[in-house]
Amino acid sequence: MQIGPIWRALMRNKTGAILIALQVAVTMAIMVNAISIIQSRAESMARPSGVDEPNIFHIVSVGYTEDFDERSVIEQDLAAIRAMPGVIDAIQTNSVPLSGGGWSMGLQTEPGADQDGVGVAVYFVDEHGLDTYGLKLVAGENFTPGDVEWRERQATDWPSTTLLTQAMAEQLFPDNWRDALGATVYINDDEPLVVKGIIERMQAAWNGWDGVERVMLVPQHTLFGSTRYVIRTEPGQRDSLMPEVEKLLADSNRDRIVRGMQTMTETRERSYRGDSSMIKLLTFTIVLLLVITSLGIVGLASFSVSRRTKQIGTRRALGASKSSIARYFMTENVLISGVGVALGAVLTVGLNMLLVDAFGLDRLEIWLVPAAMLVLLLVGQLAVFGPARRAAGVPPAVATRTI
Amino acid sequence: MLSMQNISMVYRTDTVETHALREFSLEVGEGEFVAVTGPSGSGKTTFLNIAGLLERFTSGKYLLDGKDVSSLSDSDTSKVRNEKIGFVFQGFNLIPDLNVFDNVDVPLRYRGFDTAERKRRIEGVLERVGLSSRAKHLPSQLSGGQQQRVAIARALAGEPRFLLADEPTGNLDSHMAESIMALIEEINAGGTTVIMVTHDPALAERAGRNVHIRDGQVSDVETDVQLVANA
Repeated sequence: MQIGPIWRALMRNKTGAILIALQVAVTMAIMVNAISIIQSRAESMARPSGVDEPNIFHIVSVGYTEDFDERSVIEQDLAAIRAMPGVIDAIQTNSVPLSGGGWSMGLQTEPGADQDGVGVAVYFVDEHGLDTYGLKLVAGENFTPGDVEWRERQATDWPSTTLLTQAMAEQLFPDNWRDALGATVYINDDEPLVVKGIIERMQAAWNGWDGVERVMLVPQHTLFGSTRYVIRTEPGQRDSLMPEVEKLLADSNRDRIVRGMQTMTETRERSYRGDSSMIKLLTFTIVLLLVITSLGIVGLASFSVSRRTKQIGTRRALGASKSSIARYFMTENVLISGVGVALGAVLTVGLNMLLVDAFGLDRLEIWLVPAAMLVLLLVGQLAVFGPARRAAGVPPAVATRTI
Repeated sequence: MLSMQNISMVYRTDTVETHALREFSLEVGEGEFVAVTGPSGSGKTTFLNIAGLLERFTSGKYLLDGKDVSSLSDSDTSKVRNEKIGFVFQGFNLIPDLNVFDNVDVPLRYRGFDTAERKRRIEGVLERVGLSSRAKHLPSQLSGGQQQRVAIARALAGEPRFLLADEPTGNLDSHMAESIMALIEEINAGGTTVIMVTHDPALAERAGRNVHIRDGQVSDVETDVQLVANA
C-alpha cells in the first residue's frame, strides 16, 4: 500500500481534503444523534399499550337536554352494545390509553399529607374493564359487580378497591411488586383503597409521560355529562360494527349527540403523529446529509482526477496498473474520510452530551458511533468509486503529451 | 532487443483518419544508443509511445526482448513497463506533491519491493545522479536540470534494460542539457539500451545511431561512422 506517500501528498494539498473531512465529521455528528433520537422515538412508539388495539374502538356520547337521564342511558347503552353480535365486551369510561386526555392522581403507601405520592393515570371501569381492553391479570382478581359504584361529577369519594398495573405496583412496592396485592394504598392523602388485582400492562393517555405504564383502574361509572364507550369486537369485525354502534346510540336516544368515534389504531397513530413526523424529518435529514457529503466527495475526487490527469498517466507509464490507480484514489478517500469519522466520533459524543443536557434526550448507544464510522467510510468509498474508475481509465500515453 | 516490423498506427475520429506511423520497422540491439529525430508531427512521439508500451498500435508486430507484446493484457503491459522500461520525459513529469525520495519510490512500489530494498535502490540512484542531499526536497524546490536528474533516477531505480527518453533536454538550458546528456551517455555506457527522441541534431549526433522519421516512416538511418563523417 502507498499510505505514506498518499498521506504526505494530501498534506501538501490539504484544503479540499480538510473541508471534506469536516463535512464527514459534521454529517456523522448530526446523523448519529438523529439516529439516536429516531431510535428513542421508535422504541417509544413500539411500546405495547397492553390493550387489544386492533379490535377496539371508542365513541363519545354527550347528553344535552334536562330530560337526559345519564345513568339509565349508560345502563341501556351498555346492555345493548354488549348484546350485539360480534361484540366481545364494552365499558363506559372516562378516557382511553394514548388519547392525550385523562385523569391522574397520586397514590401512596402510607396515609398523610407529608407522604410522597406516586403519580398514576386513572381509568374508571366496571367489572367488564379487563375483558373490554383485553388486559391480562397477573395477580389477584377482577372487580365484581358489587364493587362498582356510580360517581357524580363533583364527587370526591373513592371506592374501596382498585386494580393497579405491575409498573405502578413496582413503584409503590419496589422490593417486590407482588406485595401490592391486598395492600392498602391511599389516594387524596388518606383515602384507603385495597389493591384487588394487578394487571400486566396498560398505558396512560399521555405517551410522553415517563410513568406512562402507571395506571389504576377504579370500579366506578361516571356521570359527567359526557361519557365514552369503549367496545372490543371479535377479530375482523371492528370496522363493520363501528357504524352499527354509532347508529344504535344515535337512534336509541335523541337527547344526546354521538361523536368522536375512533379506533384504537387511529388513537395510537394520532398520539404518535409528532414522533412519526419527527422520524420522517430526521430520516430525510440523514439521507440529505449523506447525499451532500457523497456529492462533496465525488466533487473533490473528480477535481483531483482532472487536476492530476498527467500525473496519473505518468504513474501508468511507470508501471501502475489500472487497479493501482483506482486503489490510489480509494485509499486517499479512506484517509480523508478516516480523519473525518475520527473527528466525527468526538463531535458526535460532544453533541450528544449537549443535547442530553439541554433537551433531556437519551444518551446515545455507543455502538452507533463505530457503526456510523463504518457506514460513512463505505459511503465515501461508493462515492469515490466513479472518479476512481475514471482515473483508472486515463491512458499511459497522457504522460508524453505536452499539454 | 527491440524489433518493430511493419507497425502502423492510425488515429480515427468520425471524419478524419490520421496515419501516425506507416509500415514502420526498426531493430534496436542490446546496449545501443539510438536517437530518433524528425520534424513535428512526423510520428516520433507515437513511435516512443508504442516502443514504451504506452499505446497499442493498429497493425504490425512488436517484439521486446524476443517477446510479442501486442497481445499482452493491460496489467501485463504495466508490468513490462515497470520492469523493463525506464522513461524520461521532456517535462520531467515528477509528482509535485511528493519529495524526491518518494518520486523515485513510485515505480519501485508498483514493483512490490520491500521497504529496505526500495531504500537501497533509491539512495543508490540518487547518489548516481548527484542528488543524495536533495532527497527530502520537493520538485518545486529544484532547478530544471535537477528535476530531470530526479526523473532519470526514477527511471533507473528499477534497473531497466531499456531507457526511453522523450526530448530529455528540451526544457533545459545548454549547460544543464549537457550534464543530462552526459548522464544518459554514462547510463548507456553501463549497458542500458537507450532510445532518445530529439529534434536537436547536435544531441542526435551523440547517439550511436540516428533514426530519422518522416511522415510516419523511417526515412534515413545513420550509423556512428556516417555521423562522424558528416561532422
